Amino acid sequence: MTDAPLTPEDDDDALAGEYVLGVLDLAARLAVEARIKAGAQIAARVTAWEVRLSPLNDGYDPAPLPDLLPQIEARLFPKPATARRGWRSWLAGAAAAAALAVGVLVMVAPAPKAPLLATLSASDAPLAYEARHDGNRLTVRQIAGLPAPAGQSHQLWIIAPGSAPVSLGLLGAAPLQVDTPRPPQGWVLAVSVEPAGGSPTSAPTGPVILTAEIGA
Amino acid sequence: MVGGADVDRVSAMPEARTDICLLLERVARQDRAAFGVLYHTAGPKLMGVLLRILGTRAEAEDALQEVFTRVWLRAGRYDAARGVGMAWLVALTRNHAIDRLRARRPEQAEDGAAELIPDQSPRAEHRLIALGEARRVAECFDTLEPAKAQAVRGAYLDGLSYDALAARHAVPLNTMRTWLRRSLLKLKECLDQ
Repeated sequence: MTDAPLTPEDDDDALAGEYVLGVLDLAARLAVEARIKAGAQIAARVTAWEVRLSPLNDGYDPAPLPDLLPQIEARLFPKPATARRGWRSWLAGAAAAAALAVGVLVMVAPAPKAPLLATLSASDAPLAYEARHDGNRLTVRQIAGLPAPAGQSHQLWIIAPGSAPVSLGLLGAAPLQVDTPRPPQGWVLAVSVEPAGGSPTSAPTGPVILTAEIGA
Repeated sequence: MVGGADVDRVSAMPEARTDICLLLERVARQDRAAFGVLYHTAGPKLMGVLLRILGTRAEAEDALQEVFTRVWLRAGRYDAARGVGMAWLVALTRNHAIDRLRARRPEQAEDGAAELIPDQSPRAEHRLIALGEARRVAECFDTLEPAKAQAVRGAYLDGLSYDALAARHAVPLNTMRTWLRRSLLKLKECLDQ
């Protein structure tokens, strides 16, 4: 802004430092994250700042640890490895498989390909969604990776520069379709991990796992 | 950027190759027992980070579940050459806590929470004068004007936004932004020497 004489390298390094410090607002954070995920040079700058500033971590006092391990494990490992599968879980599995079959039939219906708007992916994760826009309607479908595990949902958000994220809906096996004008360049699409059924608030509560900035 | 100097300095630190690194490597191989041990070993520190940044126990507990979920899912990306285990975990935890703060709907909620937390920095900072790396950072912070050093530390430890920092230091937002960016570059120059 007012600090004009920075070189582009210094400017990017200061931005990476601001990102690691955490002072940026959400839109600016997401823009940096989109660049990191695109494999830009800024990723290395961010890592360097994380290492540089890590001695400050001594300033954090340890706190009493709540025993949340059972909840975390239940979330990550829905079926304990030691549990015998009774008929109830077998039935539940069969019902899920039937539901999946219905889902697959719906998905098979051919959809004409609208122009690509953005690809939401991370270089280091096997998950990817693509966003297409045909002039009237935004369609977001999964193109790689697994759907959200049981008990979780992937939720799609759109963020206008300087604004709070707005939910566009939940991403599942079937493509998500939203009737909306084409989002302008510089807006950001983001996917967060939320409890099943989506964020209980009007904002993302879980980790933002994928972002993409909309191009020209 | 993250050239040899950084890596050498990191691997020279005493914590490297200790429990947390080994546990993370086992978690990356989907070792659930190691995950449980990691929770109890690293959990108190990470809970401390979350409490300090988020301000309430309820939100910190919620965030802790997210953090360990991410740890399990991302342990494969942990690379010992990039930083010691605890530093990697704290970076992941701070990142999640700050994402939560910035995603809070009314911007005031965040600044409000920041006001409620007593400023513990001066006490905490004394501990920075510990060993090697920490002393080096403390020395580099000493090259900054005290108010600017305080702003950088406050931003890092409390997860303050530019708005909250500007309010805390009673300077205009743009001034704070200029201060902080210049201070960061000065710190970098000192730390990378």
